[in-house]
Amino acid sequence: MKIKLFATLKERAKAGEIAIDMSGAMSVGTLREAVAQQFPALAPLMQQTLVAVNQEFAFNEDTVQPGDEVALFPPVSGG
Amino acid sequence: MSAPTILDITPAPIDLNQLQAAITTDADGAVVLFTGTVRGVSRGATGSNITTKLEYEAYREMALAKLGQVADEMRAKFELIHGIALVQRTGEMQVGEPTVAVAVSAGHRGDGAFEAARYGIDRLKQIVPVWKKEWKPDGSSWIEGDYTPEPKDVPAKGLPARAQ
Repeated sequence: MKIKLFATLKERAKAGEIAIDMSGAMSVGTLREAVAQQFPALAPLMQQTLVAVNQEFAFNEDTVQPGDEVALFPPVSGG
Repeated sequence: MSAPTILDITPAPIDLNQLQAAITTDADGAVVLFTGTVRGVSRGATGSNITTKLEYEAYREMALAKLGQVADEMRAKFELIHGIALVQRTGEMQVGEPTVAVAVSAGHRGDGAFEAARYGIDRLKQIVPVWKKEWKPDGSSWIEGDYTPEPKDVPAKGLPARAQ
């Protein structure tokens, strides 16, 4: 599964997009753990990282399906 | 009545006059325009901090959707307002340049346009996926917000926006 990264996460991973191994649907919480395991550079940030699924905020109990658009980013600071 | 709604995430400089004209209808007698600008000097308890420029990055598709949510919430809370413009600029901006614009038109100045504009910029800073990087004389760093979205910030999941 491909995951878009923004701001601090993009800089830490040195990539705007990463891919994680995923066999089927998983919870957002499990996705966080998978990213932390497969990308140690991002692990320290995962606690406060926000997750978006199909361009909407998603929470640990929500489900991610293969093919969903997933993004990880820090709390927003626009304006 | 269909009132104009302008939502944009754009690298182009924000044309404030054009924005005002675009949301003003014949039924409007008041327009409130808020702009955020790049602050070059921030005075604090420990002295002044210098910012040389800001760089903004956006998750554009989601940001546009969230701007739409902010506009919907503004209309639900302030029923008398008419036009709404929510524009966030991206890329590098120098001290003094507008980084964001929130404009609201209404029939009269007492119809909630001031309050709606305030709500709009506050809400934009909570839920619209945009990030700023601050450049100082000795380096740069990403600024992180202090708001963590909850299920109630997702219209389809939590309580409807109008019930908040």
